[in-house]
Amino acid sequence: MTSAPGGREIAVVAFAQTAHRRTSDELSEVEMLMPVLHEVLDRTGLKTADIDFTCSGSSDYLAGRAFSFTLALDGVGAWPPISESHVEMDGAWALYEAWTKLLTGDADTALVYSYGKSSPGSVRDVLTRQLDPYYVAPLWPDSVALAALQAQALIDAGDTDEPALAAVAARNRESATANPHAQLQGAVPQGDYLVQPLRTGDCPPIGDGAAAVILAAGDRARELCARPAWIRGIDHRTEAHSLGVRDLTDSPSTRLAAERAGAFERPVDTAELHAPFTAQEIVLRKALRLGDDVHVNPSGGALAANPVMAAGLIRVGEAAARVHLGASDRALAHATSGPCLQQNLVAVLEGEPR
Amino acid sequence: MPEVLKAPLVVEFPFTRSLGPVQSAFLTGLRERVVLGVRTGDGRVLVPPVEYDPVTAEEIRDLVEVAPTGTVTTWAWNHAPRRGQPLTTPFAWALVRLDGADTALLHALDAPGPDTVHTGMRVRVRWAAERTGAITDIACFEPYDGPPGEPARHTGAFADPVTGIVAAARLDYTYAPGRAQTAYINALTGRRTVGERCPACRKVYVPPRGACPTCGVATSEQVEVGPRGTVTTFCIVNIKAKNLDIAVPYVYAHIALDGADLALHGRIGGIPYDEVRMGLRVEPVWTEGARYPDHYRPTGEPDADYDTYKELL
Repeated sequence: MTSAPGGREIAVVAFAQTAHRRTSDELSEVEMLMPVLHEVLDRTGLKTADIDFTCSGSSDYLAGRAFSFTLALDGVGAWPPISESHVEMDGAWALYEAWTKLLTGDADTALVYSYGKSSPGSVRDVLTRQLDPYYVAPLWPDSVALAALQAQALIDAGDTDEPALAAVAARNRESATANPHAQLQGAVPQGDYLVQPLRTGDCPPIGDGAAAVILAAGDRARELCARPAWIRGIDHRTEAHSLGVRDLTDSPSTRLAAERAGAFERPVDTAELHAPFTAQEIVLRKALRLGDDVHVNPSGGALAANPVMAAGLIRVGEAAARVHLGASDRALAHATSGPCLQQNLVAVLEGEPR
Repeated sequence: MPEVLKAPLVVEFPFTRSLGPVQSAFLTGLRERVVLGVRTGDGRVLVPPVEYDPVTAEEIRDLVEVAPTGTVTTWAWNHAPRRGQPLTTPFAWALVRLDGADTALLHALDAPGPDTVHTGMRVRVRWAAERTGAITDIACFEPYDGPPGEPARHTGAFADPVTGIVAAARLDYTYAPGRAQTAYINALTGRRTVGERCPACRKVYVPPRGACPTCGVATSEQVEVGPRGTVTTFCIVNIKAKNLDIAVPYVYAHIALDGADLALHGRIGGIPYDEVRMGLRVEPVWTEGARYPDHYRPTGEPDADYDTYKELL
């Protein structure tokens, strides 16, 4: 199901995020997350008790802390027990779950949050543990290496070259100068090869951060937000897990999710793409048929701040915030999970005519 | 701001995984220097083979041998190999479509440098000297300019098939406990137990975790509690824990320190295990150089009245 049945409209009514940093070792996860939860609630005037459903996304592997999501729940105020769920995925998928919960009519408001601390471990190695445990994970191919295989495939196909990738990096980080939450802003050297053909500049910064959004249905959304960002459609799709089965230069799952979310029905003016590596933006622009007139990643995207498990939810939040401010009337938000854009979520957000 | 406490944390886990019929045949084949693929309903050969068609989800079992030679479909030069990767010297990651296969296999390619690698180059399997039935039985690929290998027509039936793998994993972290727990640990070095009070409900949490789970707000006001406390509940441990030099049976208890609104846990000593009871009054026993109490022992006070700790159970 990709659009609201029975006309139940659901909107993102508030968004908050941390200032993303290389390390937050003076704070536990809940200490990092809590100010963001308070900020997003303050934006709507809601209290925890007013929230019908809470859903979060995080991964214990990132910081090596078992059941960290239950500790993070302390920051919500989850006692006496609240209606709550968690996904071991980026928060964009937690938002998808919350959206379905609101569609059922069981809830009118939802708090969605996610957080990731990459600083305690080595995220390149940690992410190898999500790979096929029989044929791939025993080789420990790190996240940059897999992204580099995709980048080389694009170069071989004539879809991009190293200067074009550098331009993607530069444009995103230039946009990030207007984003006070970004970890990398302005001119950043392309640097040496990390895994050729990707240079350090083609890769996202490693850091810690958290984000939260509030969803509300119908009139409740209009009460809570002057210009709600209505979710006109949202869908997520995945590809075969074996890299050698896929065409790494294309993203059919993104295209299908976009189609199911209604993205191609009318042009969007803004797109927040979750492309941690420069070459992936090339793939996504093609799959989403984004023209040069679309404002891509006004926030600077994941190349400016990539708190793993939160960076996808931040794309939805940033797109919604543009709608809230009147800077966008129809925005696309994309989130990805897994190696080389394996799984993709697309949401279309709209503001009412002004 | 006080110095941030940090400590190394190593997480190691050997996953024991069973194999399905296709995975078993493929990995056993590698042990025997045979590369097997699986044929899909529409005639494509998948290498590495899977048990369900990624397009149709149809169960597929038709094994077919492919050549140990093939073609690079994409690659990436790894200047700095990381722990666990196939080679310790710089190498190329490569997706290789073996001769006879329609899909590509990820592995390392041992080549002198990035200038010697290109998409479309011909390579062949270099077998590991010792093979166990694992993807690492392929040591890596190496450049190859000979004719395509001639696969035999192996059926995929082996006398002694591998039925599982043990996948060892190790991740290294630097653990930092955060603000509230850092303050707690620092106070313990002075043999003081310091909790934090919720500004909203006034409860004192020991050990503090930085947030009140009832109110969802930060705790900040530090409150010294104890040192004495009350056993609220307990259990008798009869099985010796690995790496723990404590004679069984012993008692592990929830202890509400005086002034705390949350019980912490600790071992009870200095009393026969079968005499420990709810309401027993205890105090910490420190050993020289320890960073936390070794155990708690009876104070000799009369037992606490149930009503004084019933909310802390």
